[in-house]
Amino acid sequence: MSFLEYNVKFTPTGWRKILYLNWALILLITAVASIGFLMLYSVAGGAMRPWAEPQMERFALGFVAMLVVAMVPIWFWRNMSALAFGISVILLLYVEFFGTVGMGAQRWINLGFMRLQPSELTKITLVMILAAYYDWLDLSKKSRPLFVLIPLVIILVPVYLTLRQPDLGTALLLLMGGGGVMFIAGVHWAYFVTVIGGAVGAVAAVFASRGTPWQLLQNYQYRRIDTFLDPTTDPLGAGYHITQSQIALGSGGWTGRGFMQGTQSRLNFLPEKHTDFIFTTLAEEFGFIGAASLLVLYLLILAFCLVTAFQAKDRFASLMTVGIAVAFFLYFSINMAMVMGLAPVVGVPLPLVSYGGSAMLVLMVAFGLVQSAHIHRPR
Amino acid sequence: MSLRTPLRPLARILPARQKGENPDAIERENLRLRHEAQRDKMRQRAESRLILVALCFMIAFGAVGTRMYALATSDVEEPELVTNGASIVNTRADIVDREGRVLATNFVTNSLYAHPHEIIDARAAADGLASIFPDMDADALHRRFTSETRFIWLRRYISPEQEQLVHDLGEPGLLFGPREMRLYPNGSLAAHIMGGASFGQEAVNAAEVIGVAGVESEFDEVLRDPARGDAPLVLSIDLSVQAAVEQVLAGGMAMMNARGAAAVLMDARTGEIVAMASLPDFDPNARPRPLTDGEAADSPLFNRAMQGVYELGSVFKTFTIAQALEEGLVNVETMIDTTGPLRMSGFAINDFHYYGASQSVEDVLVHSSNIGTARIAQMIGADRQQRFLGQLGFFQPTAVEMVEASAGRPLLPSRWGELSTMTISYGHGLSTTPLHLAAGYASILNGGTVVTPTVLRQDAPVLGERVVSEEVSQTMRGLLRSVVTDGTASFGEVEGYAVGGKTGTADKPRTAGGGYYEDRVIATFAGAFPMYDPQYVIVVTLDEPSETSGPEPRRTAGWTAVPIAAELIRRAAPLLGLRPTIEPLGAYQLSSASQ
Repeated sequence: MSFLEYNVKFTPTGWRKILYLNWALILLITAVASIGFLMLYSVAGGAMRPWAEPQMERFALGFVAMLVVAMVPIWFWRNMSALAFGISVILLLYVEFFGTVGMGAQRWINLGFMRLQPSELTKITLVMILAAYYDWLDLSKKSRPLFVLIPLVIILVPVYLTLRQPDLGTALLLLMGGGGVMFIAGVHWAYFVTVIGGAVGAVAAVFASRGTPWQLLQNYQYRRIDTFLDPTTDPLGAGYHITQSQIALGSGGWTGRGFMQGTQSRLNFLPEKHTDFIFTTLAEEFGFIGAASLLVLYLLILAFCLVTAFQAKDRFASLMTVGIAVAFFLYFSINMAMVMGLAPVVGVPLPLVSYGGSAMLVLMVAFGLVQSAHIHRPR
Repeated sequence: MSLRTPLRPLARILPARQKGENPDAIERENLRLRHEAQRDKMRQRAESRLILVALCFMIAFGAVGTRMYALATSDVEEPELVTNGASIVNTRADIVDREGRVLATNFVTNSLYAHPHEIIDARAAADGLASIFPDMDADALHRRFTSETRFIWLRRYISPEQEQLVHDLGEPGLLFGPREMRLYPNGSLAAHIMGGASFGQEAVNAAEVIGVAGVESEFDEVLRDPARGDAPLVLSIDLSVQAAVEQVLAGGMAMMNARGAAAVLMDARTGEIVAMASLPDFDPNARPRPLTDGEAADSPLFNRAMQGVYELGSVFKTFTIAQALEEGLVNVETMIDTTGPLRMSGFAINDFHYYGASQSVEDVLVHSSNIGTARIAQMIGADRQQRFLGQLGFFQPTAVEMVEASAGRPLLPSRWGELSTMTISYGHGLSTTPLHLAAGYASILNGGTVVTPTVLRQDAPVLGERVVSEEVSQTMRGLLRSVVTDGTASFGEVEGYAVGGKTGTADKPRTAGGGYYEDRVIATFAGAFPMYDPQYVIVVTLDEPSETSGPEPRRTAGWTAVPIAAELIRRAAPLLGLRPTIEPLGAYQLSSASQ
């Protein structure tokens, strides 16, 4: 239920919309993506192929997609959100049965010109349908158990399907992103306290039971958890990535070794150097200053999204923008935390920088939605 | 929801109706107000939640930023495997010569191992390794790299060049483990003294270095003692003299077609071994394996100067005559009956040359008369001879600080009767090492006090027990000088250094059965320089020399060991800081003053 009717003042129409785009956000996105191109060029040993050039093409494609999405009024997207979510769940199911197996997991649908990862698509459509749901839902009902159960099911279906692939990282992102939207929508905090408290309690119980006669897991499972949480205990096995990336970060120092001078990444010490661990290349070649600059750029992008959310009078636009911001935030903060050894290694790419078509396209579309909310907000 | 304000409050509707206004306007206005209030409340809550989310963002940014800062300012540290047990302590003290020049030090290098599961291109890795290490087989390596093994040792240590070449292969499955290894920068110089070191306990990241022979083994605990800090072990060896000695000895050994050679250069007062060489030698950096068959003495590891016990022959006459002088039994002019052969218990003692029916004590030594010496020994008797030789250290292994020293245990006759006394007087029947001999000569010539051989630098003079008087020592200097000027060691003259000494040529005992070879000898020169004030004692021993420049092969020490000793002194004396000087007149008291 919208309250627009009371205070509609002015909304740009037609080609004038271009003037009302959030150009600062576009600039920021392009800057971050350019850092990505530089890094991919460097990681390939100073070559456009195999990574920098396709990444640029995808960014261009995504840029066009963003503009197109931005031009379409936000209420159209609200009406489309259920359909979009439905499609992404169907695609997830399709991957479950017919997907291409890559890197030990079924994640892709081969579209010919690119490989689509439905789990990436789901990140946005999930935010959209949750925003639309709370836009539709009468405010007074939002904390009733039944109306909390509905979005929970909406979240858990794609989470389950991505876990099946298996892709723990994306599943966690979906769970946390969806939870974020529910939190912003104003669902009673007691639900969150219960869920978080329950999870913490379960984990605590598992660890507390260790070494006691009633321990909940086998010893080898505990050892796996230990390695997962503290990879330094196995620097040549499970902890290989993380120790190498920390060496890279450390060797970068303040100003880094210089563009194309990184040793850890260029000498093949890091197998995932162009995707999940690209941040180490940045930190090694441009040092703390380079890495902190990227962090600041991300922070600015987030700030613009939040400002857009604050300014939006439309509940759907506001919720969706915040949801996208949360998803974006989870993306890069988990990636950075993982690379720096603050979080366990789960496969999460660095948004806009890591090599990957689906993630890039989906993110650009998401920013298109934010732009749409920005343009079509009442002024 | 608290109590709702009604949308159509009668209090306002009724007056409006009375005024004829449309009451629906009131309802619309109230509805709008209620919606606005509701929306404001919702916005407020949403905004507070948004701020909460933003706060979470900031905290996460703070954490990531702080971590990034910590990592950027941290020093790069290679990860280390958490291994069980205490880490292996492997800092070993250096060994230096008497001038502080390094003889043994530590060298940080790497071992090479492989994690086959991390090897990307097994074929390229195997081929690359085979080209770097020619003894590796590419196909065998490839088989091992593609097997299920998780860990393969490739090399216990590699040189920096090899390490760079392996690095250049760019294969992440080939890994290096740090290794501290013992380095002998001078190669085979003083090989037998250094001995060598090898790895004890080995782990991926470290290996224990332990001494296996020579001073490395003898002082193993001392060298590994962390309490010593950086203090090196200082030896008595002089590196440049050692080098000269080894070079000359090697040349001489080749020229004399000898099977082996040994030389000892010792400080006559302190017993410090300034140089000690045994040939053939080896490189302690790559210590050869001990021989599994054949004679131990044929191994290059065998230190002839310290482990080899030989009947050294006429060089022992010095001790017999010194004792006779000390006991007052003879003086240098006493005439000794030298008619031969001297028969004793079915054994005939002969002289090499016949110099008349009787000779003075001086001539007995200068002409090296076995018969004369044996007769003098008869005067001394077995008991006194044993006591004297025992005092000089000939019955015990040398006390030199090396593990191999105990192997140089002298061979004594099982029954020391009169015959033994007579043969031992000219160096047969008692087998000792050249090092024993050097110490014995030093004791006689340094003024008469016993010296104990040592490889450690002595900073203060060491005064041992007195064996002969100052005068007898003086007399012996003169007698030995005469052997060089007038006697069998005439090739030993080195101008300006007043060399004195005694030759000894002993037939080698047959390895199988009794008796002696007729064409295999141990040729020895034992002497000192400068003779008027002996600073250094020198012993050169050749195993089976044969000088072939003449019509017949010559084996006697005068032709073989003496020229080498002379050359050795010619080279070493300047290095030792001795200047060639004219011999002072009347330096030796060859009179009968001692009587």
